[in-house]
Amino acid sequence: MTRTKATFLDGLGASLPIVMGYFPIAFSFGVAATRAGFTEVEASALSLIIYAGASQFLALALLSSGAPVLVAAFTLIAMNLRHLLYGPALMREAGEEATTRLAWAWAWGLTDEVFGQALGALARGQKFSEPYMFGLGLGAYASWVSGTVVGAFAGGGALEGWPAVNAGLGFMLPALFLALLLSILSRRQVPVIAVAAAATVAGTLALSATSGILLGMLAGALAGVIRK
Amino acid sequence: MSWELLTVALMAGVANWCFRALPILAHRGRTTAGGWLGRFLSSTGPAAIGTLFVAAILPSLTSDLARLLPVITGTAAVLALWFTRKSVVLATLAGALAHGLAVWLIG
Repeated sequence: MTRTKATFLDGLGASLPIVMGYFPIAFSFGVAATRAGFTEVEASALSLIIYAGASQFLALALLSSGAPVLVAAFTLIAMNLRHLLYGPALMREAGEEATTRLAWAWAWGLTDEVFGQALGALARGQKFSEPYMFGLGLGAYASWVSGTVVGAFAGGGALEGWPAVNAGLGFMLPALFLALLLSILSRRQVPVIAVAAAATVAGTLALSATSGILLGMLAGALAGVIRK
Repeated sequence: MSWELLTVALMAGVANWCFRALPILAHRGRTTAGGWLGRFLSSTGPAAIGTLFVAAILPSLTSDLARLLPVITGTAAVLALWFTRKSVVLATLAGALAHGLAVWLIG
């Protein structure tokens, strides 16, 4: 398979579905934060500094309910433990020749969706490049932060008058994950994906959505270890 | 800005950076992992994407046909565009467009 070089602009282009998926979620985070009593600057700072969707919504609940600072911080940290696996998994697919000189900077943007998009690109034969990772990550980060800022200042109701647009944007991330799944799908990966899916459903129904995600990833990866 | 909020945000943000960047920086210059660790890491990506898709679609699965139909339409559009154009971006945009249109048509 011929591997092509990818530029910063390629990464920015590949971030488009993530940008469109992130913006409305970040927008609703901005609205929720100001409704919970935080200022516009505080809401924006949470997105700028934490940059992790689900744990930011949890931060609102914890902080507005008066949870102790350390309890709140460690709960948020525990929610994002899965990100520990993304870097090594990505670099394994990138190959030994991949350079990581600027990883300290672009890795900040390695969210679930950015990881999925980058991995899908490698699976389709694209060569790993740091400029591409910067473009992909920057598009997603800018969308997340700007969505929060707009949501915090505009307040609720801006998208409520457009339910079809709201619904379409809300389907962007499931659609992205499905497209990414199709892009990496091979006969070899079917057992891994099936085990991950089953464990996610079981974990979500029995415990919580966050536990379901962690259990699904670990169970799927372990299924890959057992597989010959 | 309250110091509690800033402290929590900074702790969570620094931890996020550590989770995302340090494993890559620690991996630099080493040979690719083999054996069980190699298989584990190779399977992490597909497992993560499969997990995230299920987690994202699960709240939409309902017995209410008016809410389920847009999900089916959007999913079908993603599948159709992927198998005809092999483009993640186009398939995603088509899925969201079909979902939004179905919501609009159903009212």
